[in-house]
Amino acid sequence: MNCAKWKIDIALYAGGDLPAKRLARTVAHLEACAGCRALADELRVGQTLLSELRDEPLEDMMAANVRRRVLARLPIEEAGAARRYWRWALAAAVVLPLALMLPWRTEKQAPLARVKQAPPQVAEAPSATLNAVNVRRPVVHRHHRAKPQPGEPLLVQLVTDDPNIVIYWLVDPKPQGD
Amino acid sequence: MEPQGIALPVTAYQSDRSDDLAAFERIMVRCERRVLRIALRLLNNPQDAQDAAQEVFLRLYKHRGRLDLDDARGCEPWLFRVTVNVCHDIARKRGRSVALEDAALEDGPAVSPSAQHGMERAQQLELVRRALGRLGEKERAALVLRDVEGLSTREVAAILGSSEATVRSQISTARLKIRDFTSRLLRRRS
Repeated sequence: MNCAKWKIDIALYAGGDLPAKRLARTVAHLEACAGCRALADELRVGQTLLSELRDEPLEDMMAANVRRRVLARLPIEEAGAARRYWRWALAAAVVLPLALMLPWRTEKQAPLARVKQAPPQVAEAPSATLNAVNVRRPVVHRHHRAKPQPGEPLLVQLVTDDPNIVIYWLVDPKPQGD
Repeated sequence: MEPQGIALPVTAYQSDRSDDLAAFERIMVRCERRVLRIALRLLNNPQDAQDAAQEVFLRLYKHRGRLDLDDARGCEPWLFRVTVNVCHDIARKRGRSVALEDAALEDGPAVSPSAQHGMERAQQLELVRRALGRLGEKERAALVLRDVEGLSTREVAAILGSSEATVRSQISTARLKIRDFTSRLLRRRS
């Protein structure tokens, strides 16, 4: 007979933990199966030994040691608790006023936020003013030309997305310190 | 000798504090052995068990405002839960392994022929103690509370913060493992 599936229930049965609805089936199986009865007996012996561990005497010294150590630590714990209390009180004294000021500051900044969210038609309008310039990183077109003669200044022309804006960069090729 | 009939000037705070302390000491005296025993079974080491018990009672003192210290029985589930948690913390911190202890037991001197037939109770208890040390921490906690301390499945579930079905599964597995371990060791010795 394959009794592996009964093991869990037998272990519970041995300790009196088997729910009532599974109890009858397990008892019926135990009556029919000698192997499982032996297992139940062995488990009961284990149960008895485990419960005997409860009655094992503890050394009096252990309990006395713990009590002495705990009572010696109590003043330190209380001092620590007081320190923690003051630390929290101080932190609250600093953070609370800041937290109370925060809503007032966000209210003051609200109009600025509205400016940033300009309606789409403004953004799509031709770039007539400086404010409407696209803020994307400008694309730089490099026009290669013949290598400049020594001593001749180098002119770099940076063309942005906005045709109205061209940046000229005059570079002096002389090394520093000359 | 103190003069009779003279009331000492005790402030309300001091009075509360000494009441607290007295109640705390009462609980400690009442529960310290049980807490120590659970810690000893969970940690398998007397020194660690004492450290754990000390931590448990210091936590009790710290949280005395939330507990009714006059109701020792009502405080027990809280104490046992903290004991289990503290023991798990200590065990993880120390990274203690019981494998060596088991090896020592297995390689120990052979049992005399008379003992082979009826091993003495002390030896059997030692085997069970070692077997407990082989269990996983959750199974061990469930088994110690249920079978060693004799708490009900419901109480164990409440202490461990799990369902009764989970506790039943843990204790049945643990019982089978203990039985397997002890019978394997007994077979090897004989």
